[in-house]
Amino acid sequence: MEKSVIVKNVSKKYKMYAKNSEKILDLISPKGYGKSFYALNDISFEANKGDVIGIIGVNGSGKSTLSNIIAGIIPPTSGTVEIHGEAALIAIQSGLKKELTGRENIELKCLMLGFDKKQIVELTPLIIEFADIGDFIDQPVKTYSSGMRSRLGFAISIHIDPDILVIDEALSVGDQTFADKCLEKMNEFKEKGKTIFFISHSISQMKKFCEKALWIQYGHVEHYGSMAEVMPQYEKFIKAYKKMTKEEKKAFQKKIRKSRMSKA
Amino acid sequence: MKSAWKVIREQFKSLYLIRRLSLYELKSENTNNYLGMAWVVINPLIQIAIYWLVFGKILGRSNDIPVDNGVEVPYITWLISGIIVWFFVQPSIIQGSKSIYSRIRFIAKMNFPMSAIPSYVILEKFYQHLMITGIVIVILQFTEFKISIYMIQLPYFMFAALAFLFSVSLITSTFSTIVRDVHQVLISLMRMMFYLTPFLWEPARLADAGLPDFVQKILLLNPMYYLVQGYRSTLLGASWYGIDHIGYTLYFWGFVLVMLLFGSFVHLKFRDHFVDYL
Repeated sequence: MEKSVIVKNVSKKYKMYAKNSEKILDLISPKGYGKSFYALNDISFEANKGDVIGIIGVNGSGKSTLSNIIAGIIPPTSGTVEIHGEAALIAIQSGLKKELTGRENIELKCLMLGFDKKQIVELTPLIIEFADIGDFIDQPVKTYSSGMRSRLGFAISIHIDPDILVIDEALSVGDQTFADKCLEKMNEFKEKGKTIFFISHSISQMKKFCEKALWIQYGHVEHYGSMAEVMPQYEKFIKAYKKMTKEEKKAFQKKIRKSRMSKA
Repeated sequence: MKSAWKVIREQFKSLYLIRRLSLYELKSENTNNYLGMAWVVINPLIQIAIYWLVFGKILGRSNDIPVDNGVEVPYITWLISGIIVWFFVQPSIIQGSKSIYSRIRFIAKMNFPMSAIPSYVILEKFYQHLMITGIVIVILQFTEFKISIYMIQLPYFMFAALAFLFSVSLITSTFSTIVRDVHQVLISLMRMMFYLTPFLWEPARLADAGLPDFVQKILLLNPMYYLVQGYRSTLLGASWYGIDHIGYTLYFWGFVLVMLLFGSFVHLKFRDHFVDYL
């Protein structure tokens, strides 16, 4: 099997400043200053071409940070990410300019992603057709409904034809028919042998679509394997967590948080 | 040196990108107004009218003002031929400084040629500058200062202004992203510079006010001084400013070069971590 993504010992540290003065001290002092929080702590895994991997985990466990790192939007603090091919992130926050029309946003977004003039001319009609928002394509994006916005964002990202696709909760907006259309398109990607990372809180969608699961628990990999293997354990954990009393939950979270903090 | 080279190469590689993005910038800034692009011209004209009223009429500047090479011009002519530099430099510096942190979310890709961001923001201001300069040239045709051979210096001074703005913006955009206060400092600084550069009053006034000679020497350190006097000499056909003041020209380019070297260095040093500073 050909590898497409190799993540090795990746950590992402965020500095937590109590005051602005600490921020300045941190900038000036060579060793750094202040407490830091590990959003990700020593994550390692590999993905093959054609893998469809669901990333699961409770809120605040570092799923979005990981997907941003895979897509190359934020740099890891330490460790290496090896990507074979182009990676693209599809998120709800699609970064459209609201004063410009849909059509202009398509060109702008493509420019930002490094396409040349000819490619953009070829892609534009395909994107417009997929987004299927009718005459609104020539209206400013600020007049769009949130559904239309995400449809356009999704249509653009999906047509830039990346080798590695990271989908962060993007399907939770938009109606059923559009979600089906996207799933269809993603199946197409799957057949082409592209790697897909899929983040969703919908367990049923996850089970239907993904073959593998990567369970991120509080910044580290709890489990990585086939969906059939990992998902029952995850569901068991969720159940157990729900059963805890309020005090137990609090104590548990406190413990977790402490383990993710470090000095400097 | 190496980093400056890298940044310059990046500019040439992303030339098409910079051009398209600057056009969109221009568009998105003006589509909300009914008068659209006309505001680009209306705003400066209103300001010129006010300055002329206050400084030209009320504060009584009826005498002619020396430009360079012994050429003297009426106040209003002197005012409009120089203040267009301010209308270009001021918004470019302010917008250039916040260019990166206000757009980085939208860019969302680390391998984007980050140094192209200040460039396209400045280029957008440059379009407006071209329009205003064009209008001022037209106005000047109705005075005794018509188009002359000296006008061929204009592209040179425009290039000088662009080079200056780009080098400065590389530095300010980096530091404003890391520490947002830098942007606020810059705003106050620019407000000060408006009065410390000969936009509204001519340098000869310093002597009239009884200030010692070295004050004017200090003001000359400001590269905007070079630009504004260069523009005036060009538009009013007074002198070959860049050649007549060759020492000053060398100082100006030395200043730009140092800024460019330092700016490229800090830009490249921090740019991978710009997202972390949001």
